[in-house]
Amino acid sequence: MKINQEVKKISITLDNREVIRKDENREGKLIKRIITTGTISLILLLVIILTLPHTVLSVKSLLEFATIVALVIFLFVLLFRYFAILVLAYLYINEYTYKAPSGGYSPFVSIIVPVYNEEKVVADSIKSLLDLDYNNYEIIVVNDGSSDKTMNVAETLVGYQKGKYSDVKVSLINKPNGGKAKALNAGIRLSKAEIVLCMDGDSQLSADSVKLAVRHFSNREIGAVAGNVKVMNRGKIFTDLQALEYIEGLNMARSAQSFVRLVNIIPGPIGLFRKKAIEEAGYYSSDTFAEDADLTLKILANGWKIYYEPNSISYTEAPVKLQQLLKQRYRWTRGILQSIRKHKKLLINPSINIGDTFILWTMFYEALIWPAMNIAANLFFIIAALVFGFSSLIFFWWAGLALLDLVTALYCIAVEKEEFRLVGYSLIYRMFFILIIDICKAMSTVEEFLGIKMTWGKLERAGANV
Amino acid sequence: MELIPILSTIILVATISTFMLAVGAYILYKVRERKGIQAVSPQPSEVNAELVTPVSAPSHQPLPAERFIPQPIFIESQSVYQRQQASAQQKTPQPSPQKYIPGPIPYTGYGNQPRQYSGQNYSQQRGFVGSQQNIPQQEDGKPKDSKFMKYTSEGYVPTKEDKNGGALKWR
Repeated sequence: MKINQEVKKISITLDNREVIRKDENREGKLIKRIITTGTISLILLLVIILTLPHTVLSVKSLLEFATIVALVIFLFVLLFRYFAILVLAYLYINEYTYKAPSGGYSPFVSIIVPVYNEEKVVADSIKSLLDLDYNNYEIIVVNDGSSDKTMNVAETLVGYQKGKYSDVKVSLINKPNGGKAKALNAGIRLSKAEIVLCMDGDSQLSADSVKLAVRHFSNREIGAVAGNVKVMNRGKIFTDLQALEYIEGLNMARSAQSFVRLVNIIPGPIGLFRKKAIEEAGYYSSDTFAEDADLTLKILANGWKIYYEPNSISYTEAPVKLQQLLKQRYRWTRGILQSIRKHKKLLINPSINIGDTFILWTMFYEALIWPAMNIAANLFFIIAALVFGFSSLIFFWWAGLALLDLVTALYCIAVEKEEFRLVGYSLIYRMFFILIIDICKAMSTVEEFLGIKMTWGKLERAGANV
Repeated sequence: MELIPILSTIILVATISTFMLAVGAYILYKVRERKGIQAVSPQPSEVNAELVTPVSAPSHQPLPAERFIPQPIFIESQSVYQRQQASAQQKTPQPSPQKYIPGPIPYTGYGNQPRQYSGQNYSQQRGFVGSQQNIPQQEDGKPKDSKFMKYTSEGYVPTKEDKNGGALKWR
């Protein structure tokens, strides 16, 4: 319910500058890199061919030996990764249950909602924000030059709206299109709050999301708190698989990272930041396609700790078509690789910030090494079945992975008190869904290294409700 | 036929299909995306924007503070404050010795004239100083909210009395 109908329109000038790395001689560097890596590969191949007759191995036995060694390494890494994440996530949940700070710390919070062509969902998003179980906040909607009726819908929401405990000020910034990073920066700069919550225009927050996340800022070392993203539009196999992925793949890893206070990506749909930490990091940047990962790395590099609050939930619409999903994952993968490349100094030199180095290597492994290993393992079992007739191997491979995923899914769903029916999807999760994602990641990685131009994709929203 | 070879065949076919589906969908996605690529123009250092914001806070809206006083405590303190204020105002007035000086009643003798009691003039006859003008009157002449008012030496006062007031009064 709107209380104050009187609004004023003020013309403002926004600072549009940002630090963008100069890469003028990009093509020259690319050719140089191809020549260097090609030469090294040729030298290594020649070394193998020349030295092989002097060993007990033939070419065929070398291939068999290499395959077995690679498979053993892969299985070891797979199990180590799973159990490391599980153990750390378990320790985190124990710590969270018994040591989480109690409430009472309620600083003023600005909720920044960047919107671009979100006419179908922006009203629902703002309404969900008015139901928050918190009473010291304002909402700043940033319309990033939408070409549909988003501006008209958002203007009807401006004013003092009736919140759950107090009246909530809703403001709107209309700016020319410049990307999500710049839209968020405009909102953050306008805010006078100590804490800012950045979210997506199509997301909806749970009632106690702000209250539960904000309490962690009573610890002065915490620079940001990552929330828990859940899929809103469930009910189809494709979106249910994504719901399981968010719970099992993303949230469990985030829990494990939170145990060491080094969450590597604060998700776009819900992230709370100490404004001072954002200012020190130099705000969001538009030079990567994963502005949230980039900002997170910058905040960590400045020595701030980042925590994960599993009960601060943001419901988001997941892609319903394969092509939309590929578009999303393509952007995520290339964005993460761009962020890693941007902070490569931290990757190489652990003396700058050992936490950042660890987290960058984790990202590098997840974005680059793990998909390649998964694709290679699947190809190996296909070739073993088709060429050598070992068709039962692929069954045992699937059974092993499915069992591992089943146990992990049971644990994660029990911890998050999620829908039990999602456990069934773990049987096809790794072999089929993750394989599609990994192929997309591998292709995106190749494109990123080749320097192929990309644009921001805009997902079509249906306007689903929680 | 054994179960494992059947399952192996199903999984093999499904895995190969997934591979083909993923690669095919990716190629299709790239083909469609390529059509939409536009030249990126350089961004200016400053952009003009419009801020739409409410004019002022509603009168009952507390201004945002850096440190927030939790709501329940705020309500509690407000209600206590009001109760204290009310008790000070609505306390039953006590007859003042200076004001309450009953005047002498002229002796008319018993039996000669019947004693006529007039409720309206009785207080005046007794020398009551309390002003009748203070009584809130309705159109029909009855005091407003007379049901809940108490007639005292200082006029009509609300009957609601502070519970602690009695104790203090008789102490």
